[in-house]
Amino acid sequence: MGVRSTACTGRNIRMKKVLVVDDSLSVARQLEKIISESGEFVCVGHAKNGAEAIKMNHTENPDIICMDMNMPGMDGLTALRSLVVLDKDVKVVMVTSLGGVGDKFTEALRLGARNVISKPFESIDVLNILREL
Amino acid sequence: MAVKFFGQYLVEKGIVSRDVLLKAIDLQERKNLKLGEMAVAMGCVTQADIERAHNAQLSKDMKLGDLLVEMGILTLNQLNDIITRQKNTHLYIGEALVLVGALTNAQLVQHLDDFKADQAQYVADRIELPDAIPNRRIWETTADLTYKMITRVLGIQFRPEKCRVVSTLDANFMMAAMDLSGDVDARYLISVSEGLQKTVAKAILREESVDNEPVEVLEDTVMEFVNVVCGNVAAKASQMGVIININPPVTIRPPSSGLPVPEGYTALCFPIHVGEGEKLELILLARQ
Repeated sequence: MGVRSTACTGRNIRMKKVLVVDDSLSVARQLEKIISESGEFVCVGHAKNGAEAIKMNHTENPDIICMDMNMPGMDGLTALRSLVVLDKDVKVVMVTSLGGVGDKFTEALRLGARNVISKPFESIDVLNILREL
Repeated sequence: MAVKFFGQYLVEKGIVSRDVLLKAIDLQERKNLKLGEMAVAMGCVTQADIERAHNAQLSKDMKLGDLLVEMGILTLNQLNDIITRQKNTHLYIGEALVLVGALTNAQLVQHLDDFKADQAQYVADRIELPDAIPNRRIWETTADLTYKMITRVLGIQFRPEKCRVVSTLDANFMMAAMDLSGDVDARYLISVSEGLQKTVAKAILREESVDNEPVEVLEDTVMEFVNVVCGNVAAKASQMGVIININPPVTIRPPSSGLPVPEGYTALCFPIHVGEGEKLELILLARQ
């Protein structure tokens, strides 16, 4: 796995790379828009399920993965389990409408998610959480 | 903007860290006895009784307490006593955070007040359902959250009409549906006219115009709205002690004759008046 980019100030800004994982085209569009308009992050791809996320983490080497929980095929929590084993430096934020379900939130954190963003979300909440990573 | 639980709110606001929250949750899990553990601790049953009931649960879809009563291991009064003891000794997450040193009592009181104010927008208003509907509190909450999300996520002015039981689901441009399982067996549907579909798409995609968007994207936005509502319903239900699992949403294009209600289900239709020429309905198919 290559060296990840780091955000810094000045002319040679290297924006943090974000991979979006969601089966919903519209959520992927929402997140990509927030990420690209921030000027601080760049979206390096969109995976539609957990299996694609694992592959794209290897090929795109993102700094942060924003991943849905409820997806057909490999769901987000199953993918999270694999990602943290395959890549100990991976930073995953779950983006889900189930964030308010205490058990789901706790399970995600225990499996290694850095944070959980509940839907519906505001742009500023997403960016604040990404900036902390 | 969403339904949250207190621990999540504190992490999101940066008041406690993820690791501290997990430490407090671990403490909660050690202190809060499950029903079977409490029943053993109170001397009402033996560990062997619990194991027998767990084995019986493999073939019966019943909660442990109800099963222990049905098997004659506990009386109903004993079960009620155990549940009361569980409630009275329950360690809440805020208290656990004080015990692990993350908050003082004064801070806890202040943050709880702030949290209640943040979540006040999701306190259920009164929704009237027809008589004899199982899980009516959950469906009242579901309708209420749907109305609130229509306002907050879609930004639409509307007037909810009275809920009625229907035998056929009316035809409309499209429907998005999500199956709900766990303690309920139901299907949540949102039915929209063509103009409403575009309104939903503009709000979800945060775009001024969606005229050039492909059909699959337009349909996906309605499914995403359904996903957001149902996820928040699951969160609200979990606060009420009811487990609701959600499944990936699907799209339905109903025929002009409408769709029959599946046998064994009650269809609750909540028409939502949004203006001339447009049609929006919430439909709940609930197992009888």
